[in-house]
Amino acid sequence: MHSWRRSAAYRIAFANFITFAVGLALLGLVVFGVMHVAFFRQLDAMVSDEAQTLVDEYQSGGLGELNEAIAVRESSRSPTRMLYAVFTPDGHRIAGNLQAGRPPLGLHDITFIDPSEGPDRGRGIGIDLSPRERLLVMADREWIERIDRTVISVFAVAFLAACIIGFGGALLFGNYLRQRLNSISGTAKAIIAGDIRERMPVGGRGDEFDQLAATLNRMLDRIEGLLENLRQVSSDVAHDLRTPLSRLRTQLERGKQTSGDQTGLIEGAIAQLDQVLSLFAAILRIAEVEAGETRRYFTAVDLTALTTELAESYAPAVQDHGRTLLWSIEPGLQVLGDRELLAQAAINLIENAQRHTPEGTVIRLTLVAANHWACLRVIDDGPGVATADLPRMVKRFARLETSRNTAGYGLGLNLVSAIARLHSGRLVLKDNAPGLAATIELPALATTAQSNQARKEGAAE
Amino acid sequence: MRILIAEDDRETAEFIQRGLEQLGHNPVVAANGVDALHLLSTEQFDVAVVDRMLPGMDGLSVVRRARTAAIELPVLLLTALSRIEDRVSGLEAGADDYLVKPFAFSELAARVNALARRRPLQQELILLEQAGIEIDLLKRRVIRDGTPILLQPREFRLLEELMRESGKVVTRTMLLERVWNYHFDPQTNIVETHISRLRSKLNEGGKPDPIETVRGVGYRFAEHA
Repeated sequence: MHSWRRSAAYRIAFANFITFAVGLALLGLVVFGVMHVAFFRQLDAMVSDEAQTLVDEYQSGGLGELNEAIAVRESSRSPTRMLYAVFTPDGHRIAGNLQAGRPPLGLHDITFIDPSEGPDRGRGIGIDLSPRERLLVMADREWIERIDRTVISVFAVAFLAACIIGFGGALLFGNYLRQRLNSISGTAKAIIAGDIRERMPVGGRGDEFDQLAATLNRMLDRIEGLLENLRQVSSDVAHDLRTPLSRLRTQLERGKQTSGDQTGLIEGAIAQLDQVLSLFAAILRIAEVEAGETRRYFTAVDLTALTTELAESYAPAVQDHGRTLLWSIEPGLQVLGDRELLAQAAINLIENAQRHTPEGTVIRLTLVAANHWACLRVIDDGPGVATADLPRMVKRFARLETSRNTAGYGLGLNLVSAIARLHSGRLVLKDNAPGLAATIELPALATTAQSNQARKEGAAE
Repeated sequence: MRILIAEDDRETAEFIQRGLEQLGHNPVVAANGVDALHLLSTEQFDVAVVDRMLPGMDGLSVVRRARTAAIELPVLLLTALSRIEDRVSGLEAGADDYLVKPFAFSELAARVNALARRRPLQQELILLEQAGIEIDLLKRRVIRDGTPILLQPREFRLLEELMRESGKVVTRTMLLERVWNYHFDPQTNIVETHISRLRSKLNEGGKPDPIETVRGVGYRFAEHA
């Protein structure tokens, strides 16, 4: 019972039921009252009509005719039979069988003596036939009271039946609500207890509860994905930190054993630490980009100028690594964004292309407009990546086994992808057969560029 | 130089103080924002190094209030936050430069030096001449010992930055900021590559190298090579 009172399902069901019952009772009362009043009026009308008829009899035939008429009426066995009396001014009954006192004029409730039942109440009218004779015509209220009683008992039975049905319905309804909610909260409890893979049962009806369960399930999928990602990331961070930190430890230990100038050792240790710090910087940068706060500082960025500058800056560096950077940049392309983040994204793509390809590879940097999109593409003709591995590459800490031994933390493409998304664009990786084609697609601001306009062509010196 | 260090972390403050003292400066430490602002408004400093997070009054407010009170000294803001947003708000508050913790002391020293020299350099220079190298900032021309040298735009900018600060260390990050306008570390060797190309063009024919590499820090243009 206690848990019932706290159950919203039952509360709703019972509130509903009580409202219904109160409504029903009110309806009964009104109907009864209206009916009762109507019957009374009917009674008054009947009594007045009868009295008028008798007055007419008296006026046409005097007291004798009246007596006769009363006698005929009193002997009938009609259920709406009336009672009559004629009184002298001193209260003496001179006609009729009605045992009652001399009435005042007009319609009144009359108390009389029923020969079989004793004192009873009726509705009567007093009319003066002559100054010496007052007629009383009265109808017994008995039949109205009988109808009242019947109506009340019928209504009471119906009301009780309705209440029982309503109560039962409320129980069933409350129970149903509770069950549906309990199945959801049961799953939630299982998840709290530790099983994140638990899901809400979804019925086939597609009602609100099913929709809620389905929505919650989608939310749980998302949370599970994020948790998995977080778990993966933290274990990857731990893993990636161990290598430089243990190397650092070895160096320091070696330094402790040797005497003399330790400058080289300290510099080495600082370099190791810088590597660790740069990992954190990269993680924080990705987190910042993913948070999207940077959008507030977005301005129009001349992507053409930015890319050209990047190409010119990086061509010598790429060349020093034994690879070639060629570029073809469409003029006049602008995007809304953060210049530095866009530069970083492009640099990461170039870096990636030069890091994972053999010497002699040709890297192509292109910027073209396609409809309302600016496509910044970095293509290499290196060994490329198997199509099956492509989706994995943008994941955080994703490093293909083949490149485990090369530098980097596998955050580069993840950052590029995050930056593209921040700019309402995306990173598309495609097999270039041979090599890899990485494209950043960004919504272009205003394409003033004409495709037939001469393209700026360039190559490493 | 008289330098105010507003830093609440005692170890960091001491580290900066000792470093600056060794370089012959005269640093004063304030451990909270209120003291820092008080010192700034009552005493004369050449440069202020202000930590962003200070007890009492945060670094940004210190800088903002100092600027409102027309205290014009150059301010280097230190911060543990490397977000773009933080850099923007720092510069908006009136800081002249921004350095993210953890930093190498040499980086801080180079930036403090650069800030201190910023003011007398306001007059527009058109010609720089050092160690037999002459650069014309207007015509973008370089001449060494009478021979014109053809440089790429970024190589020219690198040389310009180094010569403007000749005799002083210009760090790799400062060059990235000034020449490329990148306030992030692209983790690549573009600075090194461009310096090496600049050197080979500058020193063609076995001439002495005027650009000195300061290992792990940056480069220095030798004043009297």
